Amino acid sequence: MKTRLCLPLACALLITGLQADNEVYRTWTDAQGRKLEATFRGIENGNVFLQVRNGYVYRLPLDKLSAVDQQAAKTLKPEGLGIPSDPNLAQAAAQIDMLVEAGLKKAELKPNPLASNEQFVRRVFLDLAGRIPTREEALEFINDPSVSKRAKVIDRLLNSEGYRSHLFNYFADMLRMADVAQKARFFTYQDWLKGQIGDNVPWNKIVHSMMAADGKLLENGATGYLLRDAGMRLDNLSLTLSTFIGANVSCAQCHDHPFADWTQRQFFEMAAYFGATETYGAKGNGNGSMPGIRKMIASLGDKKLQQQAKNLMRVNGLAVEDTSENDLKMPDDYKYPDAKPGDPVKPKLITWSDDKNKKAYQGAQPTKNDEQLRSQFAKWMTSPDNPRFAMTIANRMWKHIFGIGVKEPVTDLDDPNASVNPALLHHLANEMVRLKFDLKQFLRVLCNTQTYQREATSHELADNTPYIFPGPILRRMTAEQAWDSCATLVVGADVDKYKANRGATYAKAMNVDFSGGASPEVFKQQLENAIASMRQYGGKAAGNPKNNAKKKRMANEEEDLTMKPPVRNGLVLARASELPQPEKDQHFLRMFGQSDRQIADSESEEGSIPQVLMLMNGEAQRVIGQKDSLVVQTATAQKTPEQQVDSLYLSFFSRKPKPAELGEAVAGLGNGMTMQDLTWVLFNTREFIFVE
Amino acid sequence: MNLHNQLDPITRRAFCERWASAALGVTVLHGLGGSAFAAEAAKTTTAPSGPGFGKAKNIIFLQMIGGMSHIDTLDPKTGATQGPKAPIKTKADFQLGGTMENLAKQADKISIIRSMSSKTGVHAAGQYVIRTGYEQRGTIKHPNIGAWAQHFLGSSHKTLPSSVCVNRQPQNGNGFFPSSFSPLPILDPDSGLQYAKNEASPEQMIKRLVMLEKLDAGFRDRFQTSEVKSYTQFYDKTISIMSSTDLEAFHLDDEPAALKEKYGKGKFGQGCLLARRLVEKGIRYIEVAKGGWDMHNNIDDGLDEHGAELDQALAALLEDLKERGLLESTLVVLCSEFGRTPKVNGNGGRDHYPKVFSTLLAGGGIKGGYIYGASDKEGTAVADKQASAQDFLSTIGWSLGLPIDEVVMSPSNRPFTVGDKGKAIMELFA
Repeated sequence: MKTRLCLPLACALLITGLQADNEVYRTWTDAQGRKLEATFRGIENGNVFLQVRNGYVYRLPLDKLSAVDQQAAKTLKPEGLGIPSDPNLAQAAAQIDMLVEAGLKKAELKPNPLASNEQFVRRVFLDLAGRIPTREEALEFINDPSVSKRAKVIDRLLNSEGYRSHLFNYFADMLRMADVAQKARFFTYQDWLKGQIGDNVPWNKIVHSMMAADGKLLENGATGYLLRDAGMRLDNLSLTLSTFIGANVSCAQCHDHPFADWTQRQFFEMAAYFGATETYGAKGNGNGSMPGIRKMIASLGDKKLQQQAKNLMRVNGLAVEDTSENDLKMPDDYKYPDAKPGDPVKPKLITWSDDKNKKAYQGAQPTKNDEQLRSQFAKWMTSPDNPRFAMTIANRMWKHIFGIGVKEPVTDLDDPNASVNPALLHHLANEMVRLKFDLKQFLRVLCNTQTYQREATSHELADNTPYIFPGPILRRMTAEQAWDSCATLVVGADVDKYKANRGATYAKAMNVDFSGGASPEVFKQQLENAIASMRQYGGKAAGNPKNNAKKKRMANEEEDLTMKPPVRNGLVLARASELPQPEKDQHFLRMFGQSDRQIADSESEEGSIPQVLMLMNGEAQRVIGQKDSLVVQTATAQKTPEQQVDSLYLSFFSRKPKPAELGEAVAGLGNGMTMQDLTWVLFNTREFIFVE
Repeated sequence: MNLHNQLDPITRRAFCERWASAALGVTVLHGLGGSAFAAEAAKTTTAPSGPGFGKAKNIIFLQMIGGMSHIDTLDPKTGATQGPKAPIKTKADFQLGGTMENLAKQADKISIIRSMSSKTGVHAAGQYVIRTGYEQRGTIKHPNIGAWAQHFLGSSHKTLPSSVCVNRQPQNGNGFFPSSFSPLPILDPDSGLQYAKNEASPEQMIKRLVMLEKLDAGFRDRFQTSEVKSYTQFYDKTISIMSSTDLEAFHLDDEPAALKEKYGKGKFGQGCLLARRLVEKGIRYIEVAKGGWDMHNNIDDGLDEHGAELDQALAALLEDLKERGLLESTLVVLCSEFGRTPKVNGNGGRDHYPKVFSTLLAGGGIKGGYIYGASDKEGTAVADKQASAQDFLSTIGWSLGLPIDEVVMSPSNRPFTVGDKGKAIMELFA
């Protein structure tokens, strides 16, 4: 933002050096002579908003101020980000800013100027709703004269459909969510997570559910986390620890960690918490051991049916169950003196002591009942007292919107003090706990910071140079942001409406009771019904929302985008979160870097020649430039070429063109370039695919 | 030395003109990538020499993702360690895993290192090390052998990129070198390089490109970061590729149906066939990836599917290269991030095992029918001549004629070498 200080005051601030360059404190006096040193945040509905040094924002009726200050409030330009949604939020945001600015000061760096409304609206839509704003959404924000509009749009986006979709994409990459794993479809897992995000279930509860889930995948989507890695509990645990508590224990799976404190023994002691958990060939449910079921399947006659029945049984057999005994043993090549290969392993939790004055976090000691081991682990890991759990998700959410973590990589927080700003990292962890793991509230605080609302850093960062957050970094859109933005250009905000909801349909089709509870006749009928409906999940049709949508459309003939996404030139224009996970190799999403969901956090922001070929000549640019595309229709409806170019710029970049750009583009239109040519040009700019 | 600065784009005017001619297909200009470095390579200090040095002109780097069981493929065992299939005899005087029936007939062309050992049992970390020779640390990205080769030897082709990766994303294969060193990814070999044809007429395309330069100039001036610049380089390179007359390198359909069949119709088989085709067209370095090796459960099923796919494709590749007289100048290597446990677990699978595993090399001056190093009887540890990922990569670099001891400073001014100071294994060379 532009600081407009009178010269003596500016000098005074420089000398004291106590506050950031852009904060102007003034002593305010009320009618009774009480004084308050604060910055002016704006005036709305007869109230004056004043922010004091600790960040808290007071709301004072204008007429309670001294006459001089009443005059000042009417003439001063508001400082900072305008009026916040509530005083505590403003304070929380200001505390983060102070820590960031302390870090900058130490490195003798200055924060970036505040972002313009145009930069801000595009960024905040992409970061919270996962897509660019439409022309109308951008204009609504830019033209809003209110001083509280930034806070309001943040609140609006946090409660939008796009929020669920975008955060799901982030976690789907982190958790390697794939439609197909263990030769079954994991739709119920995806829908479960979407539901948790949509309902804003606290993060500690979501993770606890994944660790402690029981039952069949078809009936309890939360089991998907453990079943994704069925039969690989050591790998699963290694990922669990790095993903959720930033513990870099992976080396310890095979030997003592060479740098950090983890030993192989500790790793196995942790793994013992899953030693009584059965995820592979679960007992009693679909392992085909019951003679009745085998006989039934054998009686099915043709071979293909038998195979289908077996497949069905396997899908129904995907379940998490606890046995009564922890069977984990030390590995065959264990080489340390404290145990022998093959020794049974007793569960024991790892501990930390960041602060030597405080007792290390222990968690509960194991009970004698092995069936409860897993929930003990879940409780320990997700506890607010666990110093790494809150910090890890706080650092991840920070990266999610700033483009880079306070500590990188986000999967290794073994030494938080090695981060670029340890005080900030610890504070963010405390905030996560204070907000009770409410991710929406946490993101709300982050988005309301000045740090977030600054211009993106434009200079080059050399490798291994710490980034101290003068503002967000310039980022390329994720694959999902780019795809969802393309779809927005063609369809508009309605693109958020369609939900695939594949889990319920799949579970209904596939769920058969193999436990032997049903009578042979009923069971056989169930089996045949399931096999009949299974066909839609075989082969290429699998996971394609068209199938389900078609059926639903029969019942509801109206063109309803909640039921059916539009399809243009073979592209299903739905949000990436509602398309196959991951998309097929040749799809825009994959070519733009969507993770193949085999390795955690592997979304790529690299460019490549095939990717650029796709941007230049692929279906997406065609669909965007066609006459039936919203961006083209909106622009064409404008009267003059100038207005048309204006319209295109607002749709693609959420800003109006600069005079020179306008001149060039209008001249182009007069010189044989079509609307399609111009949409092609704007789509292929760096400005389109990067997030300022 | 700042590598990025050396590749700063030429003036906008010249740029537009070049684009224009490229789009019209009038002139084919050389790509941006190699020239600066070719010049640099010329002044490279006196080349080392020794057996096999510089024999390979091309590399086909086959990376098995997930941890290929060495015991069931390249280093078979008997007894409890054996696994689902008994070892089989080969054309050479060593045995192979029971799944490798086709490869057995080509065993006279291959060398196997049976004494590989690594520190990490984690997929991503292990894949990174076997591809680059370096551990993942901080934000630095390390180059693959293709990028190193482009640095020392210049571009291998005037319009096509010098490196291609098949069935995988580039995953920063260029490392700290410019993005023009990045391997071109082909995610589906059957589809090849899609969208290489302009829909618009050349005149229209020129108008678009010139307008693109004008309207994007403000943004590019403001954000002169390497990410933005590398996108501009990719556009540049892409436009020159579109006018290349060599794009049929990516057309697998031009290959005879019988040969396609011989390699195997899956993505890996077709990827190997594409690699051979690209070698013929002058692409220096081709990576082909194949997943499916993380066989914790039912390894017999896994080998029937993935082991057989590897066996068919690799055998066909070696035979095909030999028949075309390309094997002497083409080094084919097969590697994975680690091996798998000697013991078959309760679910009929094998778990991660970095302590000892195997890699394969063939062609490019490598001995045929040769085994280097050994694991012990049960396959639990290295018994002889331990080798590391660094040694493996240094051997490849040596075979390509790269100065593997030469220190190169990254843009952040840190020293790196091909294969991170590994030792090229001279015994492997004929």
